[in-house]
Amino acid sequence: MTETSIGAPSAVVAAPPATARPAALSGSFVPRLLTGLVILLSWEIVVRAVAPAYVAKPSTVVLAIPRVMTDPEFLRALGATLAAVAEGLAITIVAGTAIGLLMGRSPIVDRMIRVYVNGFNALPMIIVLPLFSLWFGYSGAARIGTIIFAAIFAITMNVADGARSVPREYLEVARSFRSGRWRMLTDIVLPASMPYLLAGFRLAAGRALIGAVVAEFFLSIGGLGYYILYNSRAYHHNEAFVGVLLLAAFGVSFELLVNWCTRHFMPWYRRGA
Amino acid sequence: MTTTAIRRNAPVWLSVFAGIALWEIAGRLTSAAFMVPFSETLVRLWQLITRGEFLVQLFDSAELFLTGFVLALIVGAPLGMLLARVRLLRIGIEPYIMTLYATPMVALIPFILSMMGFGFAPKVLVVFLFAVFPVLYNTVEGARSIKPELIEVAKSYRSSEWSLWREVMLPYTLPYMMTGVRQAIGRALVGMIAAEFFLSATGLGQLIMGASQDFDTAGVFASILVIGLIGVGLTRLGLVIEQHFAHWRQ
Repeated sequence: MTETSIGAPSAVVAAPPATARPAALSGSFVPRLLTGLVILLSWEIVVRAVAPAYVAKPSTVVLAIPRVMTDPEFLRALGATLAAVAEGLAITIVAGTAIGLLMGRSPIVDRMIRVYVNGFNALPMIIVLPLFSLWFGYSGAARIGTIIFAAIFAITMNVADGARSVPREYLEVARSFRSGRWRMLTDIVLPASMPYLLAGFRLAAGRALIGAVVAEFFLSIGGLGYYILYNSRAYHHNEAFVGVLLLAAFGVSFELLVNWCTRHFMPWYRRGA
Repeated sequence: MTTTAIRRNAPVWLSVFAGIALWEIAGRLTSAAFMVPFSETLVRLWQLITRGEFLVQLFDSAELFLTGFVLALIVGAPLGMLLARVRLLRIGIEPYIMTLYATPMVALIPFILSMMGFGFAPKVLVVFLFAVFPVLYNTVEGARSIKPELIEVAKSYRSSEWSLWREVMLPYTLPYMMTGVRQAIGRALVGMIAAEFFLSATGLGQLIMGASQDFDTAGVFASILVIGLIGVGLTRLGLVIEQHFAHWRQ
């Protein structure tokens, strides 16, 4: 479905989500449910049999969910992380799209910047944490910086790919109608690379979330990541695991949201082949 | 080198030199705690290499990376093909694999820490968890895109299950698997650094953390430079591997 496009020019470029899912959803509900039950049951049994009592297991995690969800401390942590991710992503989308459009439409800019974009993108993003902690201190600014660094290259590379793949005819028609460069960029190139932008956003959102969690681990600043770290250190694994579940839910819902948007707002877009 | 090649690559080299010059100037203008010039970074890197600690840490990291990565391949690739072959199993497990693929694996590190402690095994587990899902996911995607006719023909020639795997499924799936390998290389690198940061500090992760704690900005930059070069090298390697098998794809 995703990321299987071979010969993609860069490691980060995901194929935008395919438009149609296999139709066999209805007949697959029972096996899915059964597998889920088997997984939960074996987890429960194994933990009960061999692990110490503090280790998270399904029955105790479920009991912890309402307790954690109403805990004001948890809600504050959740809010802090989500606000940071939203702020970082907003900056990332604006800056990343601008750089990506430039790269996609100007071969010179592309050849000048690509080496850095590829290089930074190949850098494991968490490596900047020690540096950012030196620069920004152990603060929220370092977290925002990490989020942006983690997410921006996914957007830039995808938008650049999208801007490059705009059909030539569109631009030629626009030019023969004497459209200005700026209008061509905003009215043709940007809409045409929207599916790529969304695919980039899907990757970027996941990375931003990881960036926030890692930054909170490293910098010990309040948020969902720190909540998980703190509680698992205090051997409150069940509470900490609720945080992980929430993170997984965010990851999956970003994925679903982007797929839905692509199908709903861009029905004209079909992935080749 | 032909003139066209020179003209094509000139902007790249120019921008690399411009970047280094900018780094040098910015480093000289700002305080040494904030940033150090490129030249000083190189000097510091040379010190680290000649003192020998660098190579020890590099070897440490490589050991961790390779162990986790190879384990991910050994588990991910056969499991992926099995899931593609047994339809019921795939339908049942696939959504859970997708969920795990989308889960930020770093969030599991505190659990691994408090359950398994500071040894080598928990760190390998982290690298493994980071790397296994891209391999698994892409292998399943590849193996299930095998045309049913191919398997039917093999079956009607009374091919055994083993030779079906070896002669049809493996060659068909390999290019997809290699896409997974490429993605897994990048992720395993992140997993390696994360394990070295948050579990026991060893290897390149320890090198950079130690430098940061000593406010040795030059050391931080030197480590980032090295890890960046390793990252670029490994990404290139992944692309080469992927491209090598790409033409098998139909």
